[in-house]
Amino acid sequence: MSAVWQKIWADLLHRRMVSLLIIGTIAAAAALFTLALTTLFNLEAPYDKSHAELNGAHLWLHFKPQRVRAMDIRQIEELPEVAASTGRQYSYSSQVYFEDTRAPVSLRVTPIEPPRVNRLRLLSGRFIQPEADEVLISRDMRDIYQLSVGQFVEITRSDGQRVELPIVGIVYDPMYDSYRASLPPYVYVSEHLLFSLFPDKSAWEWSLGLRLKDPESVAVVVDKIQSMRNLELVNDYTDWHDVRSSAIFDAQMAFIFLSAFSFFAILATVLIIVSIISSTVLAQIKQIGTLKAIGFTGRQILSVYVGQYVFMSLVGTALGYTLGLAMAPLPMRTITMSLNTSYQPPFNGWSLMAVFLVIPGITILSALGAAYRGARVNIIKAIAIGAEAPARKTFWLARLAERMGAPMPFVLGFNDVFVKPFRSLLAMVNLTIGVMGMVFGLALTGTIETYRQNPALLGIVYDAIVTRQETSDIRTQRLLAQTPGVEAFYGETLLEAETLNGQSLNLRAVEGQLSAFPFVVEDGRFFQPGSNEAMAGKGLLDWLGLKVGDSITLILDKDKGTKVTFQIVGEYPEPADAGQRLMVNLSSVSPLLKHTNPGTYYLKLVQSAKPDEIRSFIAPRRDSDLNFTLLEDIVPDTNYLQLAIFMLAAILIGIAIVNILIMSLLSAQENLRVVGIIKTIGMTPAQVVIMFSTTAAFLGLLAIVAGIPAGLVLTRNLLNFMASFTGFGRIAISLDTLTIIGLIPFALFISILGSFLPARWAAHLQIVEVLRRE
Amino acid sequence: MTTLIRVSDLKKTYQTGSVRFEALRGISLDVQSGDFSAIMGQSGSGKSTLMHIVGGLDKPTSGSVRVGEHTLETMSETQLAIFRRSQVGFVFQFFNLVENLSVQANVELPALLAGGWNRREIRKRSAELLERLGIASQAGKHPWELSGGQQQRVAIARAFINQPMLLLADEPTGNLDSASGDEVLKILKEFNQQGQTILMVTHSAQAAAWAKTVLFIQDGLLVDRMDGGDEKSIAQRLVDLR
Ligand SMILES: Nc1ncnc2c1ncn2[C@@H]1O[C@H](COP(=O)(O)OP(=O)(O)OP(=O)(O)O)[C@@H](O)[C@H]1O
Ligand SMILES: [Mg+2]
Repeated sequence: MSAVWQKIWADLLHRRMVSLLIIGTIAAAAALFTLALTTLFNLEAPYDKSHAELNGAHLWLHFKPQRVRAMDIRQIEELPEVAASTGRQYSYSSQVYFEDTRAPVSLRVTPIEPPRVNRLRLLSGRFIQPEADEVLISRDMRDIYQLSVGQFVEITRSDGQRVELPIVGIVYDPMYDSYRASLPPYVYVSEHLLFSLFPDKSAWEWSLGLRLKDPESVAVVVDKIQSMRNLELVNDYTDWHDVRSSAIFDAQMAFIFLSAFSFFAILATVLIIVSIISSTVLAQIKQIGTLKAIGFTGRQILSVYVGQYVFMSLVGTALGYTLGLAMAPLPMRTITMSLNTSYQPPFNGWSLMAVFLVIPGITILSALGAAYRGARVNIIKAIAIGAEAPARKTFWLARLAERMGAPMPFVLGFNDVFVKPFRSLLAMVNLTIGVMGMVFGLALTGTIETYRQNPALLGIVYDAIVTRQETSDIRTQRLLAQTPGVEAFYGETLLEAETLNGQSLNLRAVEGQLSAFPFVVEDGRFFQPGSNEAMAGKGLLDWLGLKVGDSITLILDKDKGTKVTFQIVGEYPEPADAGQRLMVNLSSVSPLLKHTNPGTYYLKLVQSAKPDEIRSFIAPRRDSDLNFTLLEDIVPDTNYLQLAIFMLAAILIGIAIVNILIMSLLSAQENLRVVGIIKTIGMTPAQVVIMFSTTAAFLGLLAIVAGIPAGLVLTRNLLNFMASFTGFGRIAISLDTLTIIGLIPFALFISILGSFLPARWAAHLQIVEVLRRE
Repeated sequence: MTTLIRVSDLKKTYQTGSVRFEALRGISLDVQSGDFSAIMGQSGSGKSTLMHIVGGLDKPTSGSVRVGEHTLETMSETQLAIFRRSQVGFVFQFFNLVENLSVQANVELPALLAGGWNRREIRKRSAELLERLGIASQAGKHPWELSGGQQQRVAIARAFINQPMLLLADEPTGNLDSASGDEVLKILKEFNQQGQTILMVTHSAQAAAWAKTVLFIQDGLLVDRMDGGDEKSIAQRLVDLR
């Protein structure tokens, strides 16, 4: 055994350069892998994690004013399904003003001490102080109105006096549903402050948050509460499932793109290691032959190589893991912030174990595979020619170059590509991964940009939204028709419906100038006005196992048993409810139900429209119930995602470049003897550089030819694969031709650059040193 | 006869870590054009080091080497490369052929690297040389498919393709049996008789006997020289020197 140990150390030290390069590659791969794991880790179920961390409620009951008594609350809290409760919570529906905006809000009392159930997560600023006149706002409030800590909001007290209150913090509430929002955004105040603003406590609304023993028992609990008294107590309730699916929509773009990145990174990690390790072991085959000749057994030979790679992979993995940990916060912080989760530092037992199992594992497996091949080769052959016999014929391109009178270094460079085809193949795989990494990074950023430029692809076809409360539908429509700057609009009523199997879903019943809006139809066609046709989100089709052309029967009113059958004629990108919605003509349901007047109007504005003018036309008075919101204020911001993808892509490309460098250094190392001989017989340093660069350029070209289409195909499939988990429609990759064309010289440049340093090193090598070796 | 090689007070010091080792400690010697000189000496005495410096493969620590009108210690790496391929042919103990090129390609390589030659002419010359060395039938093979003696003949053909003014051979027969060794020496002798200057390192008195002059090196110094001499007297001189 000691002979084996001696040989391991001798190899590691003697081939110090190669050992360092391999450790470098393993470190780069391990860093990438750590980054990928961290990304997946931070993406994983952000809502569930937040909800758990904040001990979120599963059911939030909003009681009808005046109907509930303290005794009822106690009775609810004592239900066997209830694990814990927030206790009675007070709120008051009001409006706040800032600059020229009037925003309906729900003022909610927040306890000074963090509650046991349903804590708030502070996103910025601080919590409120007891007795201080200050407020917290919800994240939705911040996003819609672009408010920030330090700004002020005004509230009209019940005595008619205006008070100005500073925003001291922005918080995330795990039970506020931003999509199905039947409640306006939340503003949090102390009980003391609410009392000083609105002293009539009998006008305060009551609500209650419940944490359940079994989170799935929401429906059971709701039924029990509804049947507790003759009077209806509950005005409205929030089910954590609904909040969750809204949150998932917010997160799905991030999920799709970042998880695709992570899977690509993992794939690249594996391929990089396998190709580098196999090619180094193959370069050592000659040695293996010699070892066998002097009496090493097959097992001892395997031990020698496995021993070397165990050592190198452990060192490399430790380095890479540390590097990965250091890089991860850069992209991850922005991502987790926008997903409302706390940043999960990448260092934990799981990532440690995964990285240290996977990276050395793959390294050792590839070393084993190659060494096993080596241990079986014929001794004489191994000593004479190494792993693979050089090709017998001169590579046709080299012959062509020679015939055309190209200088010898070019010819030799071309020939080198095919002299050892297997080695070249491994090098090319490596280069191709680099190119694919670039394509992937560029395609991701390009695609996100496209979606940002064209929200219709996300199912967002309008420029602004108007909601009404007291103003009648007819009046609102008349007003909108007269509003300057509004090119077209359509109204929508959101209806709840159930399938015959009891699955509930939301229905968008629409009417108006639909054809003026750039609806994207992914499959089939748009429905005919006035017909019983419908369009479905991909999530709905997947969920119910339907396809375009099928029909679906829905129960619109359970009590009356009102049913209607729709013919699904198309698929559209539905941004809400994970795509599980149906869009139908309002006229097909309005005769069947009582209250179907639209409450929401989607507006298309002319290019030159001025939002402020439109706002003041629609809601001239501060207490108007019509609310105008510009699209920019509600679409989830993709900036952070672009930034994160951009950073991750940069890291990926950086690692690809380092990897290309290492690969060509390795192959220079392997060719050392040949370089020494050729230099002896008179090749100048410049000619050596040309020879290396020719090989690199040719391999680079092959890698580009293979890598660009492969990168595009992979990107598309990976994105759509990830998208299929979210009910999101198809994702169209966009990467403009100009970028692709620009990529070609860039990749070539990188590949030649990668070979340039090793070539220079080889060019100025001490010939005598090389010749003395062997 | 003119002096082709003039080596004056040549020193070469190797530095390994903190250990300095003087491989050549001030050698001066002349080689006349058309000479066939053998260098003898114990293992580690500095023979290869001297050959490498004379051939422009390595640089001296001090002293001067002139080959023809080239002063080697003043030349750049590129100038040395051009010097090697146009003026010097090398033959080594371990052949040092380029494995991935055929025999013919190996032989033609120095000429092709130099450029300037007409390709057809190169082809003709290489064919002639291979013919003359008796390995024309192996032209399409690769080095690993040849015997040691055949490989050494390929190396000799490669050394002569550019018609160098100097042939340097470092133990050309060290790796061959005596029959193939003799064949190689016979070939060298023939070239020498046509005017080729040859400097050859050898351990074998039998091989040295083919040379016109024998130089003896000990511990980095030139200690003796013999003009002509048979195997026996050379062997005796070696024993005396010890
Ligand atoms: N790169 C080097 N670094 C350190 N010492 C060296 C180096 N190259 C050669 N030497 C030393 O210089 C001395 C001369 O070496 P050289 O190869 O010239 O000997 P030689 O006479 O050719 O021996 P042999 O007959 O065994 O080939 C030796 O002692 C050797 O150990
Ligand atoms: Mg020697």
